[in-house]
Amino acid sequence: MQLLPMSFRPSALILVAALAVSACTGAGQPAASGAPSAQGQPVAGGTVTIPIGADPTLNPWSPNAFVESLFINRVIFEGLTKPGKDLAPAPDLATSWTIAPDGLSWTFKLRDGVKWSDGKPFSADDVAFTFNDIVLKKELGAQNAASYAAVKSVTVVDPTTVRFDLSRKFAALASFLAYNSGIVPKHVLSADPLKTTSFNKGTPVSTGPFKVEKYTSGQSVSLVRNDSYFGPKPYLDKVVFTVVPDPNTQIAQALSGDLTIMILDNKAAVDRVKTASGLTVVSRPLVQYYWLALNQTDSRFTDVRVRQAFVHAIDRKAIIKSVELGYGQVANSPITPALKAYFDPSLSEKYPYDPPKAKELLAAAGWTPGANGVLQKDGKPFQFTMDVGQRGVLEPVNALIQQDLKNVGVIADLNTMEWNAYIQKDVVRRDYTATVNWWTYPSDPDVFPYYHSSAAGKGFNIPGYQDPKLDDLLVQGQSASDLEQRKAVYKQLQAYTSETLPYLFLWYPQEIDVLSSSLQGVPELGLRDAVQYIGEWWLAKK
Amino acid sequence: MVVGQEVVRFLAQRIALGALVVVFASALTFFFVNLAPGGPASVMRFDVSAEQREALIHRMGLDRPVPERYVEWLAAAVRGDLGSSLLTDEPVAQRIGERLPNTLALAGSALLLSVGAGIPIGVVQALRRGRAVDHVLSLLSAVGLAVPVFWLGIVLILVFAVSLHVLPSAGVTGVASDSLGDRLAHLVLPAVALATTILPTIVRFVRSSTIEVLDEDYIRTATSKGLSPRTVITRHALRNALIPVVSAIGALVPRLLGGTVVTEAVFGWPGMGRLALEAAQGRDYPLVTGLTVVVAAIAVAASLAVDLAYTRIDPRIRLT
Repeated sequence: MQLLPMSFRPSALILVAALAVSACTGAGQPAASGAPSAQGQPVAGGTVTIPIGADPTLNPWSPNAFVESLFINRVIFEGLTKPGKDLAPAPDLATSWTIAPDGLSWTFKLRDGVKWSDGKPFSADDVAFTFNDIVLKKELGAQNAASYAAVKSVTVVDPTTVRFDLSRKFAALASFLAYNSGIVPKHVLSADPLKTTSFNKGTPVSTGPFKVEKYTSGQSVSLVRNDSYFGPKPYLDKVVFTVVPDPNTQIAQALSGDLTIMILDNKAAVDRVKTASGLTVVSRPLVQYYWLALNQTDSRFTDVRVRQAFVHAIDRKAIIKSVELGYGQVANSPITPALKAYFDPSLSEKYPYDPPKAKELLAAAGWTPGANGVLQKDGKPFQFTMDVGQRGVLEPVNALIQQDLKNVGVIADLNTMEWNAYIQKDVVRRDYTATVNWWTYPSDPDVFPYYHSSAAGKGFNIPGYQDPKLDDLLVQGQSASDLEQRKAVYKQLQAYTSETLPYLFLWYPQEIDVLSSSLQGVPELGLRDAVQYIGEWWLAKK
Repeated sequence: MVVGQEVVRFLAQRIALGALVVVFASALTFFFVNLAPGGPASVMRFDVSAEQREALIHRMGLDRPVPERYVEWLAAAVRGDLGSSLLTDEPVAQRIGERLPNTLALAGSALLLSVGAGIPIGVVQALRRGRAVDHVLSLLSAVGLAVPVFWLGIVLILVFAVSLHVLPSAGVTGVASDSLGDRLAHLVLPAVALATTILPTIVRFVRSSTIEVLDEDYIRTATSKGLSPRTVITRHALRNALIPVVSAIGALVPRLLGGTVVTEAVFGWPGMGRLALEAAQGRDYPLVTGLTVVVAAIAVAASLAVDLAYTRIDPRIRLT
């Protein structure tokens, strides 16, 4: 899961009120919304400006590389693979890979003639250094290290070949290598891989199409073309990431033409942005889903009928309409529609909003109406606390769920907490009864870390759900080698999780991107993936 | 002017007292921020495994008792070393040093603006006490106090940057340009927004103290001996009316610095206020403590400056 930028967030209402004031002053002439500008032959030149919420840390493995660092790190650093435009792993620093028959070792052939931005040659040593000396060194606490729990070591076979040796089968390895797993230079970082501040907060040596020209703390990071880049020369001259913490200020900057492309976090502003001239609004799929976790150490929630009743009781379409302004769809499994090859759309109507059905299921589980219509069992009312982290849309969503549950006689008390304190209580200490949050994961259906019983209580299995049959499916998915076999396993996994509800699945959100109408060549991916194709972006002359 | 012995003693006493205040503030902050729920942002992330968490806490030395860490911090701080930021590994002093000038520029301009506008407005209200002008200006002051800075900030950006295109929306400089004029243009909106947090208070102080002075006998004497109203106000009334205002300004400095937190976030202004917000949200203990020390030192210095200014403008006050 990614954290949203640390920032000061006035409520959406305030922005709407402010926008109303600006409308009175005559801001924004209505224009054809999202009018596509003239396509044509790409032209070279120009600067693209993208907002980020805080100062980035320019090292994908630093524990301080938060969500604001992802954009730049994905532009300047390259992994062995990158997400293809269909999100399947595509070649990047590796050109091909083969898996040993036993599935326990993968051999990657590296691209020839790749140079670091300081002119030094890139080689298999850098790959081995990145993994052996950073990711697999437990005492460093490197970011994303948990994704590589199955990797034992990385061996240099020859200067353009590396071998990953695994402790168990791990079919998703190539997909995971495409996800925040940039290779970093051994010749610069060998002394202190994660704390070299001239690298993390300065001008790192990298292999991507752009390199850092200047890092100005609190203001901006500007990138220029990397002349040592192995691929085709990018069209853009420059890419500037400006640090704008307030999402509402980001919107104002987009309206005033100071930004070229941005993610619209505050969806309440989408209609206002659509009417602005010169801006295009698009929606993009995300590998992300929201869920409600019910702690499985609480015996009330171990009955599957109770979990199913809750899903029937919650009006998920109303939530999507209200907090996402319709940009999302109802979720019934952990596999998101963005993973086109695996997603099973037949489950979408599995749990219609149906309060009578919810009451029926709860009654079958022994919960009958008592005084004031509150359900009770053995004389105890059905009442519990939901912890609410202050971030994104979580507060309004919890209020809607609270109301929906109340309608079927279940009392959920909301306990709203500052984000950092919330993580400590609910995630680190697992001291919670129920909570809503979301997962974002690499573009692969391997959701083992979030569902396997070995991750209950301590790992990413937040509800602590344990089920041998689900464990078996998760391992099968990791062991299957060809795509058809994996598709079959993950179809079963979707059906099984939608039935048993380890987490209560809420919805798959979409991202709204706002871009200048002159910006062309951006693939139809979430912006954090689309930046990995920034070499193909170009600006039409006005 | 010969600096008397008592002046030196006064200054020495005040500085020693100020240093104590700063140390006390640092201890309070250090303990509270470490006791607050949560932990450094790198540890309190959703996607960090339990094993990584333990490794990080150990690497940051946070598995040792707080009093032990405070003593160590204080010993280093006395030598000028405020430790390293948990979020960036850079020295705290360097991070603050980068941001301090921006905050001083913003807070200084806001102070100049509010004093420059507040004194004439307050005097006009005092002279027109009870009339329409006074009522309208009082109403505006009340509105100014009530409007939150983040809302006003967004409105200013939407009006002057988005609609009218006369001023830049955020940041200290444009992407391409970095001239003095460009920097000043970027300063206008945040300084105006920040000034509204203290302007109404200054206006009220000036108004009430001017009214008080205008009722004094010596003003009547000055008027009756035939001096022009302008001379009476500027030479006699204002000088005395401003004495309490100076002390109010000293007390407003901490509020002004507090206001920079929100203003800097809205306007993308790379100052200490934003740094403080990031540090607090990310539980960057050394950075939070370092920032508190710097702000406490500024507040102590401001109060000392006010006391010294008193001796210059009020003949009744002596440093003894």
